[in-house]
Amino acid sequence: MIVLHTPARLEYRELAMRVVVAACRLVGGSSPMQPWGDFEHHVVSAFGEAFNNVVLHGYAQREGDLEVQLEPRHDGITMRLYDHGAGFDLGGVAEPDLDALPTSGMGLFIIRSCMDDVEYLSGAAGAPNVLTLGKRLGPSEGQRTAA
Amino acid sequence: MVLVRIPGTLRYRDLAMRAVAAASKLVGTGDRVFDDEVVSAFGEAFNNVAIHSYRDRAGEVEIQIDVASDHLTIRLLDTGDGFDADAVRVPDLDALPESGLGLFIIRSFMDEVSYFPGSPNVLTMTKRYIAQRPDGGRS
Amino acid sequence: MNCTRNDQGNETTLRIDGLLDAVSTSDIRPIIDAVVEDRRARVVVELSGLRLIDSSGVGAIVSLFKRVRAQGGEVQVVGIRDQPLAIFRLLRLDRVFSLG
Repeated sequence: MIVLHTPARLEYRELAMRVVVAACRLVGGSSPMQPWGDFEHHVVSAFGEAFNNVVLHGYAQREGDLEVQLEPRHDGITMRLYDHGAGFDLGGVAEPDLDALPTSGMGLFIIRSCMDDVEYLSGAAGAPNVLTLGKRLGPSEGQRTAA
Repeated sequence: MVLVRIPGTLRYRDLAMRAVAAASKLVGTGDRVFDDEVVSAFGEAFNNVAIHSYRDRAGEVEIQIDVASDHLTIRLLDTGDGFDADAVRVPDLDALPESGLGLFIIRSFMDEVSYFPGSPNVLTMTKRYIAQRPDGGRS
Repeated sequence: MNCTRNDQGNETTLRIDGLLDAVSTSDIRPIIDAVVEDRRARVVVELSGLRLIDSSGVGAIVSLFKRVRAQGGEVQVVGIRDQPLAIFRLLRLDRVFSLG
């Protein structure tokens, strides 16, 4: 397992994203790393939105830390994000009306669209909020393209 | 501080290098040489852990990175076999050695390097950045 | 890391792109062994696409140099820049390979 602790600040977003990209390339076993296409793009997109949510909403400008646990496997990846910011009600977040060309509120929509499994536990009594994101390699994504 | 904890094997080297490269950029020097030297030194340090320290067993390596506006400090902690850093000779470069260059590269590119074998072994290395003033002097 | 070998007359060009480090050096060893085995007279190592090298990668190229030279051949390194060039300079290999 890969553990990353980082300040929950936007300037650390790029660093965290790079770690996630590298973790994606560990998915699928020991063959040489090759561009992963959609799988990697989806995982990175979802993670970026989740990171933003913690920084912008969870901590809302307050100082805080984010712990990320990454588990690349042969058939996919699981990411867990732990934070001690304000939690939210996952079920209470409505789908954005894309026809209305919204300019915000799309983060969770992107996360749900990109990942197969999305779970959120709002922390209480000092326990962290935990966002669990899972994605499995699709049949088409199992093919590694030549470099 | 940024902390990355991963298995101490070469399979995770790329991930660690990417994290360190991104951290080096956060120092904000805009100096490619600074970033290259940090990554070069870190790569050797990671190799030492993966290839030597955990030669005959598995273990984790914890990488702690402190980013400041004028320096970067990287600490590597592992629980493998330590070594006596003082006993590592400066390589004879004229003899074109094919190995034993790692610690030489680390010491050449970082400003401060310390190593304490123990449980865990701790390698600490710091690189300072001194901004050049427009008049050519050092601020 | 990607390595391609191209033979023309008595000259072999090895183009090494990407990362030549502790992970990928084991992949390049057989290619180097084959070049040495074939007793190539001139070997050009083209490194303009090499992004990163470490001491393991340096060891592989120095090994190629020593073995080809021992057979009376020559090895030239061209196109090296950025981080790999800094490492070559540090290890004083810029003089061995007459790099600018």
